Amino acid sequence: MSSGTAEKAVPPRASSLLGRLPIPGLSTLMPYFYVAALTVAILGVEPALIDGPGAVDVRFSAVFPLAIVAFAQTLNLFTRGIDLSIGGTISVVTAILAVSGGVKGPEAYLELLAMLALGTAIGAVNGLIIAYSGLQPFLVTLATWTIWDGIALAVLPVEGGTVPARATSLVLGSIVGVPKSVLCTAALFVLWAWLRHTRFVRDLRAMGSDAERARLIGVHSSVRTVQCYSFSGACAAIAGIWIAVQEASGSPTAGDEYILTSIAAVVIGGASIFGGTGSAAASMVGAVAYLMIPDLIAATNISSFWSVFLQGFLLIVAVTLSALAIRVRDRKALA
Amino acid sequence: MTEPERGLAAASGTPEREGAYTGLADKARRYRSTLIAYGLVVVLFIIGSVHSPDFAEWANIRTLLVYGSFIGIIGFGQTLCILTGGIDLSVPWTLTGAAVLSSVLLKGSDANFPLVCLVVVGLAILVGLVNGIGVAYVGVPPIIMTLGMNGALQGLLLVYTNGGISSSPPQGFVNAVTDQILGIPVILLCWVAVAVIAVVLLSSTTFGRRLYAVGTNASAARLAGVRVRRVLLVPYVASALGASLAGLLLMGFTGQAFLTMGDPYLFTGAVAVAVGGTSILGGSGHYVGTIAGALILTLVSALLPLFWTSAAGVQIADGVILLGAVYAAGRRARQAGLGRRRRST
Repeated sequence: MSSGTAEKAVPPRASSLLGRLPIPGLSTLMPYFYVAALTVAILGVEPALIDGPGAVDVRFSAVFPLAIVAFAQTLNLFTRGIDLSIGGTISVVTAILAVSGGVKGPEAYLELLAMLALGTAIGAVNGLIIAYSGLQPFLVTLATWTIWDGIALAVLPVEGGTVPARATSLVLGSIVGVPKSVLCTAALFVLWAWLRHTRFVRDLRAMGSDAERARLIGVHSSVRTVQCYSFSGACAAIAGIWIAVQEASGSPTAGDEYILTSIAAVVIGGASIFGGTGSAAASMVGAVAYLMIPDLIAATNISSFWSVFLQGFLLIVAVTLSALAIRVRDRKALA
Repeated sequence: MTEPERGLAAASGTPEREGAYTGLADKARRYRSTLIAYGLVVVLFIIGSVHSPDFAEWANIRTLLVYGSFIGIIGFGQTLCILTGGIDLSVPWTLTGAAVLSSVLLKGSDANFPLVCLVVVGLAILVGLVNGIGVAYVGVPPIIMTLGMNGALQGLLLVYTNGGISSSPPQGFVNAVTDQILGIPVILLCWVAVAVIAVVLLSSTTFGRRLYAVGTNASAARLAGVRVRRVLLVPYVASALGASLAGLLLMGFTGQAFLTMGDPYLFTGAVAVAVGGTSILGGSGHYVGTIAGALILTLVSALLPLFWTSAAGVQIADGVILLGAVYAAGRRARQAGLGRRRRST
């Protein structure tokens, strides 16, 4: 138990000082620490992986799709929801792009816009079902994930295909020497810096921390739910476009791995699945940390399968630290 | 959840919120979601029988029941987890781990089967305990704890097998698993045994009542004298044991152990539980419903290829049916469960 609060004369002990720290903030700072630690470790073993030619572009090309999906997943978790259907959305988008390699000229841009609209529509359907059926987001999006993966399978039965050349040249490459992958990831951080103070995100947080009170202070939960999942679908579509262009082909199951990794990134980023807390920026840094583990393993020349173990292990460590932080805070609240 | 009457309802172990149920109509309302699930089983079975006459033959029913057994055995632990408001996503690699480890340790002979069994059971208990301690004592959200565990187990197994394995269990083991006793497959008998344990545990033991109490309202349960944390350990251990049993049976059934054998079972158990009418928020539902859920999933996957020839069509229909079944089964739970805080302990 924390002591030192009963009598003013007694100097505060370490435990009570710890209790006074802004703990929820602390758990969203942890991912920055993980990234720093992993960077130091990789620099110590194999610096070329970080400062070698093209290393940054390669790194951020892998980070961007996970970062944008983790961004969206953070907002879903704010409302105490979850979106498993991002896997289906990514799969469908990559599948459609992969079978439209014949699209030449500016129509390719239209197609990308259409993919964005499709993703938003998929998300809106999820949001409508969740808001008006009262079913758990977990179950609803599990079902819609299955459906959209099926549609992806109908569009593109086997891996392969080619992506429109215009789409590739739009997404890949660099602007004045800075890779577009870095610019896009930076744009996500800017978006969050603006979004975090908006009514939209505050409403989502309010819904997640106490649905009933949120209703009483005038939050239109149903509308916000639809908006939140539409945003999630749009982000998944962008991730899908990115993945298709990167791979230069499509796969009917391309999105499946992003379901669990996006949740992992958000949790490493310190957001609570019980809603209300967290930061999309921290989630994206969590995604960076998560993707640095395979690099560290590659640098150390041990079996690459250890990275799978370490990723799971980091998830458990991160979430245990968050849980302990909440415990310390609650104890402080009781004292 | 501060109203005292809710706390009392939780403490007495009844999943229902208010009022006593009397008479047949009320009983039907109480068990509505379970009845809907069994109704769906009957409807699906009739559809199959109408479509092809051999669907209702014992040989086919036996095959279906064997397939359902794997889901049903996994569904036992998953039911307990979900009743407490948790979930176990570490099933796939616990299952694979049990199969792969035992096939490697057996080295193609049945000689040290009891010893290997002991090792598998011990490791399953260890996995379950780590999950349970994380959830109950540290306060980690179950979905994340078990997801991390799943990844960690996957990594360890990949390292252990160096990324690939082609190992077959001894023939004696395969024969024992695929054998029939009085015309009933051994795998099905295992499910029956698990089902009996589950029903007795939930309906007739103090532990069962404590489990419902913890799932309905952990704080009220604690005030009523339930050792919440100790109760929360059990579902995860049960789930790991169930997954290991399913892994051994699956290995015997398919005649081999391979690294992707657990993949289809990530959400299957939880879906069977939800389709069977158990509220995913915890506190209400029963393994009797999960049995129906396992049968529904098996029937759906057997029926769909009869109507859609493409894999894509089957998958799309699968998702639509899942949504419909969860909607039909979850109505009562939804009315009761909205707006509840899920923080346990």
